[in-house]
Amino acid sequence: MDYFEVFGLPRQLGIDTLALEKTFHELSRKYHPDYFTTASPSEKTQAVRMTALLNDAYRTLRHPVRRVEYLLSLYGFKPDSSKVPQALLMEVFEINERLEEVKGGTASVEEADSLRALIKEKRKRFDAELQQASLEWDELVKSGQPEAKLNEQLARLTEILSESSYIRNLERDLGG
Amino acid sequence: MPKIVGIDLGTTNSLVAIVEDGTPRVLPGRDGSMLVPSVIYFDEGGTTFVGNPAKEKMVERPRNTVFSIKRFMGKGTEDVREDLPLLPFEVAPESEHIIRLNIFGRDYTPPELSAFILRELKRNAETALGEEIKNAVITVPAYFNDAQRQATKDAGRIAGLDVLRIVNEPTAASLAYGLDKRKQGTIAVYDFGGGTFDISILKLKDGIFEVLSTSGDTHLGGDDIDEILMRLVLNDLSQRPDIHQLQAIRKAVNKAKEELSAADRADITVQELQYRRSLTREEFNKLIDPIIERTLRPCRQALQDAVLNPANIDEVVMVGGSTRIPLVRLRVQELFGRVPHTELNPDEVVALGAAVQADILAGSRRDMLLLDVTPLSLGIETMGGVMSKIIPRNSTIPASATEMFTTFIDGQTNVKIHVLQGERELVKDCRSLAQFDLKDIPPMPAGLPRIEVKFLIDADGILSVSAQEQRTNKHQSIEVKPTYGLTDEQVEQMILESFEYAEADISARLVIEARNEAETVLNATAKGIADEQYANLSEEEKAEIAAASARLREVMRTNDHEVIRQSIERLSNATLHLAELIMNAAISKALKDKRVREIQ
Repeated sequence: MDYFEVFGLPRQLGIDTLALEKTFHELSRKYHPDYFTTASPSEKTQAVRMTALLNDAYRTLRHPVRRVEYLLSLYGFKPDSSKVPQALLMEVFEINERLEEVKGGTASVEEADSLRALIKEKRKRFDAELQQASLEWDELVKSGQPEAKLNEQLARLTEILSESSYIRNLERDLGG
Repeated sequence: MPKIVGIDLGTTNSLVAIVEDGTPRVLPGRDGSMLVPSVIYFDEGGTTFVGNPAKEKMVERPRNTVFSIKRFMGKGTEDVREDLPLLPFEVAPESEHIIRLNIFGRDYTPPELSAFILRELKRNAETALGEEIKNAVITVPAYFNDAQRQATKDAGRIAGLDVLRIVNEPTAASLAYGLDKRKQGTIAVYDFGGGTFDISILKLKDGIFEVLSTSGDTHLGGDDIDEILMRLVLNDLSQRPDIHQLQAIRKAVNKAKEELSAADRADITVQELQYRRSLTREEFNKLIDPIIERTLRPCRQALQDAVLNPANIDEVVMVGGSTRIPLVRLRVQELFGRVPHTELNPDEVVALGAAVQADILAGSRRDMLLLDVTPLSLGIETMGGVMSKIIPRNSTIPASATEMFTTFIDGQTNVKIHVLQGERELVKDCRSLAQFDLKDIPPMPAGLPRIEVKFLIDADGILSVSAQEQRTNKHQSIEVKPTYGLTDEQVEQMILESFEYAEADISARLVIEARNEAETVLNATAKGIADEQYANLSEEEKAEIAAASARLREVMRTNDHEVIRQSIERLSNATLHLAELIMNAAISKALKDKRVREIQ
């Protein structure tokens, strides 16, 4: 059973997280090992396994990025940070140099603020791109498009996630 | 369903509780107190005493009075190096991965020592409830790692308890807190006890208690405050105190600390050293501020992990004895911007919550459900000593992860897997949990076997691992070597040895009962000798009473209840004639009185 099936959902990326939580609580009440203390050992094991699957599914699906990663893995796609456009690498390299100066204390306060704003802007653009591509995926699935079309969109989502790791690293370096 | 008790196995005090008719209550010990001090005293004869009688021996018999053993659970000597100089214990040489305390030439691991406390609680519950208790829910700090949880479960097994669930202390407290209030909303539980600190953030909705995040420090509590004050006293002294004096200092600073929760000034008085100094609340606050600051960092982390601001927290619940300190309350109030709840008894709320969880497991309540999380990320060692996370911290448990492994050499039949817990990037900065050996892999060219390994963290927060070779569909056998823990065989051995203690405990009780009876008989004899009828005894009879009394006084100090019983018997026989004379005299006097009344 895949994570979408656990929640009785189609393989779509637009998920109502409030409804997801409600189903999560309902299924927890059904499967949780707390309610199987007096059951047979095999039933107990089953309850633990089923609840673990439910929890894994909930943790993955409620998070917009993990959700996409999981969907891609179901189709054999895997984000790879080494396969990104040369232009992005150059840009990140440049930002990193400026970041070094900020962390080293040689940059002005204005420079630090502008860098922070730049990284924030990049994050916003990434989030918007991912959301747009996710919506497109759902449309393709709903309208029953052929496999080639779907694969094209999966490749697009993979590309966005591959690039996202750079933004995450920049955010981490800035925060740390 | 047999009864299930809830146990709070604390650093300083332990409690046992049960739910009856929907209401949890703490079960008192034989001396009537709800709190059993987590102290174990071993006497020369091999008898153990737990709780208040043991606590009284801490200064007098420091070497063989064990306290705060919870701080040693799942630890090796390196983990507690800083504490050891201030502790009176003798640590056995082979304590690298499991601390062993040597008491009268015998080594004890922390699970065995904790089992003494659990046995006492089990007995208290059995006395209070009038039936045998075999099932328990035991609480642990939320931030306890796998080894510490396993050690707690081992302690339960050694004590003869089936531990149905390990529950996190702050979560248990939230169950007791939210029980009858039908609370909804987001709460933070700040649990600052004798040895550990936890913060948990929970969402309460329609009877579901969902933990969003947890953080803490399993080596931060009231004991650390005591140690700061002890160092203050040690600085004043011209020479290093012996272990008796050390314990006297510990007792004195602990008393002063407690007084300062209510008073502006307290005295630290150590009679044994002719030492006295005064400490103001202000000085005290200055000394402990760094410790309190160390509790606030995990609070901020937990908020961040739950993606919440302090303003999103509806209520803050205070748990643990150290939350009685006014500065702690103030700092928590400042951080969360609201007055924390202090109306619950911070000593009892965890045990009460454990009893509620026991009630849920017993099937009595389907309206409440606890969804807890794992406090630490689980990972495996990969190339270059890097920790690769497979289950992130704050994942709801049970949780699982599946990883594929293969071989590097043609015909390789073994694969080693090193499992770790922690948040750091490098293996050396994380806590080693266990080494797993995948064995009997069918010989194949390198890289061809596909071994699917499933990691499962159960509802107790404890890891288990299973493996399957995908090409042959063969279930792989796994050999587990816990890094900081006991193997199954070692626990079995300790269970066997614990039966000796069960016998020793029974004999200890027989001795105490025999001593009590001896005292009664000696008192009665003294009264008899004072009676006028004593003069009517022969000289031989008087001599025998004197000899039998002397003998009983002598043997009642030993631990041989049979010899005490024999001496009681001898004295009873010797005083038989005297008792008869006194009785007859009393009867004839009563008759005489009656006749006098009749005549009148």
